[in-house]
Amino acid sequence: MAVTHSTSNRTAGEPRRLGDGAFALVLTLPGFALLAAVVLYPLIAALVTAFFEQSLVLPGREFVGFDNLRDVFQDDFWQLLRQTLVFTAGSTILPFVIGFGLALALNTGIRGQRVFRGLLLVPWLVPGVVVSFLWMWIFNANYGVLNGVLENIGLLDSPQAWLADPGQASAAVIIAKTWQSFPWIMVMLLAALQTVPVELHEAAEVDGAGAVRRFFAITVPHLKGIIGIVLLLELIWNFQHFDIIYVMTGGGPAGSTQTFATAVYETAFKGFDLGHAGAIGLLWMLILMVFVVVYVRYSERGEEK
Amino acid sequence: MTATPVVTELPPAEASAPPAARRRRSRPGRLAAWAVVVVFGGFGLLPAYWMLVTSLTPREQAFSYPPSLIPDSLTLDNVASLGDNPDLFRYLTNSIVVSVITAVLSVIVSAYMGYSFSKFRYRGRRSLMYLVLSSQMFPQALMLVTLYAVFSAYGLLNSYAALVLSFTTFTLPLCVWMLKGFFDTIPDSLVEAARVDGASRLRIIHAIVLPLSAPGLVAAGLFAFVRGWNDFIFALTLAGPDKQTLPPGLVNSYLGEASAAWPELMAASLMASIPVVIAFIAAQRYLVGGITVGAIKG
Repeated sequence: MAVTHSTSNRTAGEPRRLGDGAFALVLTLPGFALLAAVVLYPLIAALVTAFFEQSLVLPGREFVGFDNLRDVFQDDFWQLLRQTLVFTAGSTILPFVIGFGLALALNTGIRGQRVFRGLLLVPWLVPGVVVSFLWMWIFNANYGVLNGVLENIGLLDSPQAWLADPGQASAAVIIAKTWQSFPWIMVMLLAALQTVPVELHEAAEVDGAGAVRRFFAITVPHLKGIIGIVLLLELIWNFQHFDIIYVMTGGGPAGSTQTFATAVYETAFKGFDLGHAGAIGLLWMLILMVFVVVYVRYSERGEEK
Repeated sequence: MTATPVVTELPPAEASAPPAARRRRSRPGRLAAWAVVVVFGGFGLLPAYWMLVTSLTPREQAFSYPPSLIPDSLTLDNVASLGDNPDLFRYLTNSIVVSVITAVLSVIVSAYMGYSFSKFRYRGRRSLMYLVLSSQMFPQALMLVTLYAVFSAYGLLNSYAALVLSFTTFTLPLCVWMLKGFFDTIPDSLVEAARVDGASRLRIIHAIVLPLSAPGLVAAGLFAFVRGWNDFIFALTLAGPDKQTLPPGLVNSYLGEASAAWPELMAASLMASIPVVIAFIAAQRYLVGGITVGAIKG
């Protein structure tokens, strides 16, 4: 920042001053320097590699145009898209149902509400790898508690190797992610529920509206804004979730739980093929941007009200 | 708390008791509420119970089938055996060092940025705020593809710096917003008065605004600490064995082996979870007042 040309009201004995606008921008510089170095530059550079043949371990690169993108489409793009969407949908809907249900139940002012809310936050607080370890142990084929319980109550004839079966493994990572996500949704919706005027419910009740009717006519409209925010953010986050899938299944068995996130990572850091990783990433970003644009539009609209 | 850069306000615990006397619910309504709490709450709490029980169960019992839901005997052997693994101590030290430095650096960087957004009006301010917020929307696995090369070029791979710089950056959206919220509550007249008295703009920040926002600084620091503590993908990729933090360290220590040592791993998981729970409880006290939920606000 050039300070020499600043002419703003200097008082005696004070060093040359920046104008207020420039001063305010200087305050943001350290933060923007970090954002540029850690987020913006790497992101753009990664997208650019989509058009190059480039290795993680070898120097140099060669422009190959759309070859990498063509390879991705011929390879497993549609499978990745389908699996990512299944994970995203499951890991958004299930925690939403559980979180909303708990928020409604806790909002009735049942005894122990505060204790429950506090305890139920724990899954969301702990590291993602801890969530993964715990569910791997629960789903364990030989000693897992899930097999034990299900056999005990007669739902299972013999122990299952849950994480070794493609369909069951996909369900397992969604369940683990659900366990991690529901507390945040619960807290957000519980906070919003407490802003619903009690008088509205009372008046409707006097007028003979039942609980279900009141839920849809009063509670849901009141929460519409926050429900939209919560769902969109969950979609955006789950669409790029990495930790739980990578630790629990590593994308397996047979690639059945691979998503864009794990595929990009594996391609770059195990296959060393940065060009291919960049190409998957480019397509991934394009789809993600659709969610983000919807989110920004939505939150702007909410603000205007 | 992995990806939660949206500013979340927990209603203060006291306020969660509804205003006035909450309507008395009908009997079926209360039953339904309890049914939901038992079923969904069970889904939330039983796995955590199982982690606790497994980490306190003797080895032979943990590896018996079918497992007994209520342990016959408890032991601290699994916790104690963590001490035999020298790697764990290194991971723990790394986690503490990296998370603490991240917390401090994040508070410093976000305080200046948040103050700029809160107390100045200039062209492009809103766009810049959106830019900070939007950084939480991008896929980290993709950034790493080239971030690895960037850090490698500057000789920062396998260093604390690589982790601290990355973690600090990802705490910015949350911490800047939290602190902006705190600064917004400080009356402009106070800043103006100090200015009239001849205090420089930096002095106003350091001597007036920051001390008044101490609770906010602590809360932001605690959140940044948790962000650093819980991270997996950056620590896995950018830090070698010497500088790795607990999350990737635990994966490398325990999941590589053919038969994982589950009771010890559950004990280690428990240890790795305690600091973030404590940090959150400490921060929650400060999360009272005007921080808005989730939305982007100017």
